[in-house]
Amino acid sequence: MNEIILMAHVVFGVGCLLAAVWLFVDVLNASEANLLRIRRVSWAAAGFMWVAFVIAGYWYVVSYHADKAIILHGPWPFAHSFFMETKEHLVIMLLLMTTYLPIAAANNLAINRDARRLVLWLTAGIALLALLVEGHGAIIATGVKLGLLAKPH
Amino acid sequence: MDSIPLSKYTVSFGLSLALCSVVNALIVVVKEKSPAVQAAMQKMTGHHWVTHSAIVIGLFLLCGWSFALPNGGQGLRITANRLIGIVTAGVLAGGVIIMGFYLIAD
Repeated sequence: MNEIILMAHVVFGVGCLLAAVWLFVDVLNASEANLLRIRRVSWAAAGFMWVAFVIAGYWYVVSYHADKAIILHGPWPFAHSFFMETKEHLVIMLLLMTTYLPIAAANNLAINRDARRLVLWLTAGIALLALLVEGHGAIIATGVKLGLLAKPH
Repeated sequence: MDSIPLSKYTVSFGLSLALCSVVNALIVVVKEKSPAVQAAMQKMTGHHWVTHSAIVIGLFLLCGWSFALPNGGQGLRITANRLIGIVTAGVLAGGVIIMGFYLIAD
């Protein structure tokens, strides 16, 4: 069950990342024809992020302490002391950015150039930050793996 | 051609996002530097990170609604360029403080 929870937060996180990239491209070509789709995808990005946040939060609070001990006794303690510590706080910012996305996308992006620029900045920021925390996740997972490999048999 | 103004909630929640990104980072510094603060946050919900998240999310919603109230309910008025600048600066500052803190200070 733990592995499913762990993988689910990655899946929804990647879903949010893909939705942000989709939005960036769609907003570059915003018109009356794709306005509804832009708004729906912006809600989807926020939804994916909220689900990822809740699942990851549950796992972090309930199960992470075991992985943390393995990482800190392994060869990559920085996988916790830097990467996990920063990730757990950067995702709060990412959650706020994705929550703001449907609000910004509710403007008429087909005719409002300023709103379009705002959503482009926002989606680019979300995509970059999501990519960064996904990378952090990979380093944390490697920290656990190396910690387990380093254990005396 | 005159530019079309952004909706009042776009402005208010944008400002709230910038503010809360910085507040999020400052809470990190305070709770990591003060064991008493971290213990109090731990006590409130059972885990300091849950309390931290709840404070930042609650503040984001509160500020977003509050910033929409001035000017007879029309919200704060700023240009789109200014809003984009403030949001970008707030998010970048928040990220740099968090990463810088764990890289150097902690």
